[in-house]
Amino acid sequence: MRRVAVIGVGVTKFGKHDRTSAELFAAAAADAITDAGIAPSAIQALYFGNVTGGETERQLHMGPLAATLLGLPTVPTTRFENACATSHVAFRHAVMEIASGVSDVVLVGGAERVLNVPTESATEFFAYCSDASLEQPAGLTFPGVFALIARAHMDKYGTTEEQMAHVAVKNHRHGVLNPKAQFQKEISLETVLKSAYVADPLKLFDCCPFTDGGAALVLASEEVARRYRRPIWVLGTHAATDTMFVHEKRDLSRVTATERAALGAYRQAGKTPTDVDVAELHDCFTIAEIVATEGLGFFEPGTGGLAAEKGWTSLGGKLPVNPSGGLKAKGHPIGATGAAQIAEIVTQLRGEADRRQVDGARTGLTHTLGGNTATVVVSLFGCD
Amino acid sequence: MTERVINLKSFFEDARAGRLTGIRCGGCGELAIPPKEFCASCQKRDWQPVPLAGAGTIVSFTVIRVAPRGRGGEVPYAVAVVKLEEGLSLLGRVVDIPFEALRAGLPVRFRPVQIDSQTVIGFGPA
Repeated sequence: MRRVAVIGVGVTKFGKHDRTSAELFAAAAADAITDAGIAPSAIQALYFGNVTGGETERQLHMGPLAATLLGLPTVPTTRFENACATSHVAFRHAVMEIASGVSDVVLVGGAERVLNVPTESATEFFAYCSDASLEQPAGLTFPGVFALIARAHMDKYGTTEEQMAHVAVKNHRHGVLNPKAQFQKEISLETVLKSAYVADPLKLFDCCPFTDGGAALVLASEEVARRYRRPIWVLGTHAATDTMFVHEKRDLSRVTATERAALGAYRQAGKTPTDVDVAELHDCFTIAEIVATEGLGFFEPGTGGLAAEKGWTSLGGKLPVNPSGGLKAKGHPIGATGAAQIAEIVTQLRGEADRRQVDGARTGLTHTLGGNTATVVVSLFGCD
Repeated sequence: MTERVINLKSFFEDARAGRLTGIRCGGCGELAIPPKEFCASCQKRDWQPVPLAGAGTIVSFTVIRVAPRGRGGEVPYAVAVVKLEEGLSLLGRVVDIPFEALRAGLPVRFRPVQIDSQTVIGFGPA
């Protein structure tokens, strides 16, 4: 298999937009192509992610639309949907298209637009990513899924609501340093702890927001990448699936798909958790970041809450997690999130992250989780 | 193609009548809800329907306070993962148990719940 590099990244401002998903992606993609310094005509394929376009914009077949709006109407496109892991899944397939020798340059990413519909509609559409036979009729929501996980983690390890709140405070503090973030405002522990319950024990400030935004990456084979700007190498990318049904999870305090995806990615990269200098991981809810830091091997099971409380995952800590502000503060346009996380790690490894730069970062990790912890992709990146 | 011994439709028809039905693998004895084709444990395709008593204990629970569109009139409501005494688990709506009484390990019993003419798995006091 050939080596693959990220040579260009583009991310729109995250927040509320009056542009369509396809427009948001096209804007991010044009930025990524410009960032790479490559001719638009060099793009040989588009791997595009979007989840709720059919519901929020009455728009399907968005791949060709995005390519058309980008000004590359003849590039072959594929649309991906794996809930919140959508564009990380797309990324893995784009890597495989280049690694296999089929293409030399592939554009990958995604976009989402949900702030054009009421919150209760967005909540409903996101819930479509859970099972429609047993879970949706029972009224399970995504905050509900992670509330079940949080309760199990609290019961098993003594994790506290205050420890979860530390994740929110930290990611908002990081978000202040990211001009693309939806929220660029610090919040206090008290603000989180006094916010209203959405699904006990998760409160409003334990939850990431609904977000509009797009993100894109230009990937290239080693031979092509060497001709453009400083390449950031894909050291490993691995996907794992777990049962769709929450009731079938063997242990609600763990996300086994994270553990399996991480194992595969570390093995492929020849790295271990201690090699990672900076990580962007899936903090759709504060408890999700805690469980992910354990599943990725950064901290022992049951100590992710302590790590958050002690500041080990803060910028300046042992292992900075979500310097971008994470999904919590940067925002979570679900079809774009995986690509946006990768864009942040690429920016960090280039040493171009300005005030949120992790000094000397040479190995980075991205982790994206989809749906009822059923889809997870983990990737590792490095620089020369 | 072999005919499934039970499917989602018959599972919910049974549930509506107050009967909880799972499937048992003829290869390894694994119990499952909902029906599958291959057994995830032993890969056999040999299922038999098995009646479940409906008694279990709460594994984890949450009180939902922000609901999807059309469900706003139902909040707040509790949802729980329940481990049935036969060993498999099932997710359902909690009914007739005060929120403050909910805890892991609390004994509960299956009962069908009708919401907007749809049958939903429910759990009430044991």
